Amino acid sequence: MALLELHNLKKYFANQKAVDDISFSIEKGNIFGLLGPNGAGKTTVIRMITGIFYPDEGNIIFDGKRFDPIKDVGHIGYMPEERGLYKKMKIGEQTMYLAQLKGLSRTDAMKKIKEWFVRFEMETWWNKKVEDLSKGMSQKLQFVTTVLHEPKLIILDEPFSGLDPVNSNLIKEEIYRLAQRGSTVIFSTHRMEQVEEICSKIVLVNKGKKILDGTVKEVKQQYKENLFSVGVDQLPVGSNGIAPFDIIANKENAHIVKIREGHRPNDVLQYLLNSGTEIHSFNEILPSLNDIFIKLVEGTPTARQFQNN
Amino acid sequence: MNKILLIIQREYLTRVRKKTFIISTILFPLLYLGLIFGIGYLGEKGKRKLNVAVVDQSGYFDKGRFERDTSDKSAAITLLNENPDTLRSKLKEGESKYDAVVVIPQVANWEKGFDSLILEANRTLGMESVAPVQNKLNNIWSQIKNEKLGISDTTKTILEESKVSIKPININDKTADSKLAGTIGTIAGFLIYFILLIYGSQVMMGVMEEKTNRIAEVIVSSVKPFQLMLGKIIGIGLVALTQFFLWILFVFIIYNVTRSTGSGDAISGLVGKTQEIFTSVNIPLVLFCFAFYFLGGFFFYASLYAAIGSAVNEDMREAQSLSFPVTMLVIFSIALMTMAMNDPTGPIAVWASIIPFSSPIVMMARIPFGVPGTVPWWQLGLSMTLLVVGFIFTVWLSGKIYRTGILMYGKKVNWKEMIKWAFRKS
Repeated sequence: MALLELHNLKKYFANQKAVDDISFSIEKGNIFGLLGPNGAGKTTVIRMITGIFYPDEGNIIFDGKRFDPIKDVGHIGYMPEERGLYKKMKIGEQTMYLAQLKGLSRTDAMKKIKEWFVRFEMETWWNKKVEDLSKGMSQKLQFVTTVLHEPKLIILDEPFSGLDPVNSNLIKEEIYRLAQRGSTVIFSTHRMEQVEEICSKIVLVNKGKKILDGTVKEVKQQYKENLFSVGVDQLPVGSNGIAPFDIIANKENAHIVKIREGHRPNDVLQYLLNSGTEIHSFNEILPSLNDIFIKLVEGTPTARQFQNN
Repeated sequence: MNKILLIIQREYLTRVRKKTFIISTILFPLLYLGLIFGIGYLGEKGKRKLNVAVVDQSGYFDKGRFERDTSDKSAAITLLNENPDTLRSKLKEGESKYDAVVVIPQVANWEKGFDSLILEANRTLGMESVAPVQNKLNNIWSQIKNEKLGISDTTKTILEESKVSIKPININDKTADSKLAGTIGTIAGFLIYFILLIYGSQVMMGVMEEKTNRIAEVIVSSVKPFQLMLGKIIGIGLVALTQFFLWILFVFIIYNVTRSTGSGDAISGLVGKTQEIFTSVNIPLVLFCFAFYFLGGFFFYASLYAAIGSAVNEDMREAQSLSFPVTMLVIFSIALMTMAMNDPTGPIAVWASIIPFSSPIVMMARIPFGVPGTVPWWQLGLSMTLLVVGFIFTVWLSGKIYRTGILMYGKKVNWKEMIKWAFRKS
């Protein structure tokens, strides 16, 4: 069942279509990647999902019902890209305040804060101020304040920026754990290697429009260029012309070939076997999300104009 | 609603628990009193007591009169029978025990008096220190004149003390004491003025802090921007109110302490004045109106300051230039109040106390003169209604500006742009 559905969402600012007819849905428990270059409209989409903006047109269905910002924000946890906490406020009080704003009672909040502080080894921070924390530490704190109220939907905008590998892993593990326990995660980033690693489904937006939607696997299949890495000592002489493939590049121990239109991988193997070539390996080369991203987005003007309405 | 309470609570507690709040609450009245008494003390202390030698060439003055004269103790004058030039040269060398020399010249006609005597000193003197010398000489000279004209002491008393003096009374409100009312009104007006400026800019800084810390986006994903703004304004308003009540408490404690110890210093003089105030001014009404105009004015201006805070980026100068028109309105109100105090029932006073932007200060200054004697009920009612309408309007307007501004970064905004945000349909 889908936790969140967006139907034909539109948001226009004075002279810019920030979000122009975007629809997608996210299944419960999924880790979902919302991708796009700077200024594509990701933040505007997120702000509509978090109830900060009202869409000009379209519907948001949250947990089976029409999204009602006042009631539903308690079930959403949002960590914006630009982190923010009160610098002069004590960490314990601050976490308590943000939890209560999300609708937790004092006792509930206290219990959960203690749990999370123990888990992240932050017990000694209670009376410190945010300005005393390092960037990585305040990032961890921000993550805790985002997920403390056990939201059904967690929206993380670039959650790993500024984190060292150890803390990065810690947060990553937590994201997996939260997803396993039924939380749905929207993960907005332009770091594609993280998306490939974490997300099951992605949507790519550019200039306010959705240009790609699917699971990571589907997307890769969709944009594959029929490239294979063939591990042979020597390709048969005179391959060009009669062979069912073109040689793209020659590497040590392997050749990158592109299968010609109308042929299948088996045709390649057949051809090689027939010519008596010794085959060590035969692998399909799928494009990385990074390649797809660049291919789709490159050449389109990606000004951040829409924010300057 | 519950969330607004949380925001109010946070805004209030973080400010009240700050050391600066406690220190400023205690220090402000002390500094204020210190300033008043300190200036008086230093003024007394710093005044130079001139010791002046007088040489009489007219022949009207005699030594005895100089010695008997006790009219002004802040200067000493001695009649000398010496050559003025010797005195002058001694003075120039710095060897004289006198600070200055006055030579009274010969005159043909005593009735015309001595116009413009010269006080010769070896440094520049201010009027402050010269005036007592003039007083003393005038005093002695009047005695001489009186004797010459044959005026007895009784006649002199009649001449000097029988005068016409006028005291205004409002026939609608005979207890009103316009001088006292003027003082209370001015103090109340200035208090509101300070509160508007100090706490208004606190609201602005608070909003800017949230914006530059980028916490605004986190918070508005939990509450509506309007709730955040209103919570902040109310929270800070309560801080101001707390500070004000603490000050009233201090006054009350000082009042009781000084009354019981019966010490006759300046503070208990103030206490005596306070008692006088209680009898001649309708204190409950003034206090109620003070609370009303304080809150109304605060909402009116603080919401404008909040809108400005939301529109600017980290730049303090940008904030200052944007808030300048608002600050000018407050300062202009004080100017209007000064005019209103001279004529509390004149057209400027009436209109300035009805129009919302200046009414908190001007009306508050007029109320101690008496309701309904000076301020008719209809004026008070209209003024209060318009102030409520006014602040509802500014809060609404600012709410719309705030909602756009708080999430907008990196753009320099002017008033025109802000007005556009305010009237854009959502």
